[in-house]
Amino acid sequence: MTQFKQHGMLPATTHDEASRQEFVSALRGHLSGRLMPGNYRVFHERVEPAFKARTGRNPESEHEVRELMTRNPFYQFWSAMQRRSQEMLWESVIDPTERQLPALIDKARKLGARPLPGKRKGTLRLDPKLEVPRYHTAADIHLQPGGYHTDFTADDIAAGAIYDKGINLYMGGGLGEENNLTGDTLVAYIRKAHPDFAPRSILDMGCAIGNSSVVWAREFPKARVHGLDVGAPILRYAHARAQALGVAVDFSQQNAEHTDFPDGSFDLVVSHIVLHETSKSALVRVLAESRRLLRPGGLMLHLEIPRGRTHMQKFMFNWEAYNNNETFSRYMTDLDLGGEALKAGFAPDQVRVDQFTPELDDTQKNYGDEFFWNILVGRR
Amino acid sequence: MSSPADPVKPPPTRPKGHRPVVFDDPAIDQLHAAYVTLATELAVAFERIDTLERLLERHAGVTREEIEGFEADGAVAESRATRRADLAQRLLRPFREFREDQIARAEHARSEPGRAPDEPSHGS
Repeated sequence: MTQFKQHGMLPATTHDEASRQEFVSALRGHLSGRLMPGNYRVFHERVEPAFKARTGRNPESEHEVRELMTRNPFYQFWSAMQRRSQEMLWESVIDPTERQLPALIDKARKLGARPLPGKRKGTLRLDPKLEVPRYHTAADIHLQPGGYHTDFTADDIAAGAIYDKGINLYMGGGLGEENNLTGDTLVAYIRKAHPDFAPRSILDMGCAIGNSSVVWAREFPKARVHGLDVGAPILRYAHARAQALGVAVDFSQQNAEHTDFPDGSFDLVVSHIVLHETSKSALVRVLAESRRLLRPGGLMLHLEIPRGRTHMQKFMFNWEAYNNNETFSRYMTDLDLGGEALKAGFAPDQVRVDQFTPELDDTQKNYGDEFFWNILVGRR
Repeated sequence: MSSPADPVKPPPTRPKGHRPVVFDDPAIDQLHAAYVTLATELAVAFERIDTLERLLERHAGVTREEIEGFEADGAVAESRATRRADLAQRLLRPFREFREDQIARAEHARSEPGRAPDEPSHGS
């Protein structure tokens, strides 16, 4: 059962719509926890031994594993189910969003303008001239119809409403009651690794609906928190959502590769599983921009998903690259994140990559027989 | 920016991008997609039935035991039997047509000895 907080901007659901969402969430949990591990068993107990018997060696690359596994009937079954569950996840949230869209847009306008009791209200700055990068426009990331950046109607917020509930179903509720897991993960990291760090200005790059921006603003109430993203509908929603939750965040529509903030504007620059949605060349520019925006002594923290260590793990972690429109993320396999930060101008003693193993249960791991976050840390 | 009075256009329902084909025969991909949908709708129906049963219990005094112990007899049993047979008929229709197709192709192959016969069918 997905425990999810019904804040002011979430579309209400009918009896059937709610059942549909709960089933998709349960199905995905079942696929992750019960079926997905079978791929590793099939590979280690059948596919790899058969290959070795035929060739006298084990598969030596992710590519060879892909050639073998995509012909395996068990993998094919799981993959077809995984793909369909992802499509149904969006279908189950699009229905209620579409049904209530005019009222939701109206609500977003009102929430956006509303003052927050006892504090400064959040702001929204859109740039209709911003060029949305090709890694966003080439295909709709994660199969979300229309992507995160397309306006289909005036003052559209549909992409945000769909994303909010959709990503929660994606991990069977594992992202938390306000989709706060990734923000919480970095907050926990900073509390442990830098207990005295008290940022006064924070930038959340690729913030989407601001689910992590809100976590940072609550954790450091004295800090001014900015969230940026390339998508207008998702930012309108982020602004209204933060207002509905009573948290002040300043959202702006910008590309993290080149922002309009002056040098040294922030004590802390963060992103949450965003880097793999950019391209290999964009990544270095995002890291260089992070560095430019940091004050001396400031911290950069980019949270990333694992890409696998063995050939089989790499193949599985790239399932989304081939089947879930994470088209550009393949470049992340075997990429040395620390090395990319050096290319972006950080000195070797300013950079490290830490690993952090979250307490996820088997229904939330999706592609790995092990799971850990990578955290790219840069210090100015 | 257009005015709030403009009609609101809904988001699209299909994502931009190529849909991968997993199985050798793309028809199997479609079959998988269809039955996952069917399972979802079944879950939706189960939940609605559960809601109805609970409301009946709460407001109409119909107990769970009564529902569990309900015996269909006479016309009710007959109507249910007809409905079950109809479902089986509909469900197995593609398989029946597939079998007939296989038989027709095997007969065709026998009548043209120069061509390799189809593989034997595995039961039906």
